[in-house]
Amino acid sequence: MNRIALVLFAVLLFMGCATQETLYTWNNYEVTSYNYLKNTDEKSTQELIETYKKIIKKQQGKRGIVPPGIYADYGFLLLQTDKKEEGMAMLQKEVELYPESRVFIERILNMVKE
Amino acid sequence: MKNILIAAGLAMLFATACTPTATIKKSEAYSGMYAEKPVSILLMPPINRSTNVDAKEYFHSTLSMPIAEAGYYVIPTFLSMEILKKESAYDAELFLEAPLSKFGEVFGADLAVFTIIHKWDKSGIAAKVNVEVEYIMKSTKTNEVLFVRRGEVIYDASISTGGKGLLGALVDFTASAINTAATKYVDVARACNSYTFSDMPVGVYNLNYGKDGNDIAGLKNFKVQLNKD
Repeated sequence: MNRIALVLFAVLLFMGCATQETLYTWNNYEVTSYNYLKNTDEKSTQELIETYKKIIKKQQGKRGIVPPGIYADYGFLLLQTDKKEEGMAMLQKEVELYPESRVFIERILNMVKE
Repeated sequence: MKNILIAAGLAMLFATACTPTATIKKSEAYSGMYAEKPVSILLMPPINRSTNVDAKEYFHSTLSMPIAEAGYYVIPTFLSMEILKKESAYDAELFLEAPLSKFGEVFGADLAVFTIIHKWDKSGIAAKVNVEVEYIMKSTKTNEVLFVRRGEVIYDASISTGGKGLLGALVDFTASAINTAATKYVDVARACNSYTFSDMPVGVYNLNYGKDGNDIAGLKNFKVQLNKD
């Protein structure tokens, strides 16, 4: 009986170590990014868009906000797929969340407006 | 008197024997990082000097997560990539020794991170991958190198990574469109990037910001096997 308790305790300890907290939730960002970088086709673009949507929808990390670059890159893909208004709105959100992005993002917004 | 001298001599010998490599604090190893306090980081497209044609993408797709998790603002990967391409600046090799102030102006970047993949070899035995990779972070203001590490990494791609390590636990491996071989090699690059950048002084968005100067810095040149049974 004691042995079972000990094993359970060990398992709990192990689980405690395994769930280290991170700043952000990323879903399958890296794999879908790789696929997009490698192929840049319709399918990989759609999958990356889906990943961005998931990341924006739910954040469970310590900061509780969307990670750097996600709104902007999502906006970029929307612009690429001719969703101009929606894309520009996402770029604005990047600036709101991360003011240090202003220099770069405003440059892009001006390019899009032209 | 003589005995004391011998004892002291012995003690010194022991002390030197027990510290084979001098340990230095992060505040010394990365003094420029603490002085400049960079916030935003531009990912330069990795420079691939290895024989594996896909290595560039393996590394590029796994750079932003560990750097953002360290508390920095990572300039949007794909948007910046597009602009670098438009400006004929996609070959990072051109900028390794060049002034970087333009990247500060255009992207608002405080640092540019260069990744040089020197080697990516698969050995036939047990799906082992040998990678040699170097990371150089340079200030766009002073052009100084603020962080540099070079590693020889052995990674056994036959071992499943389901939830290994800090970042691995977050990754959802259900992405359907990618074949398992590619996923494995994305894991290899992720492991190299995470290992290397875990030594960076943390950035402004990390709760530990400004408190890690007394931590011991990792080796500048390291050799490591990143997943063992």
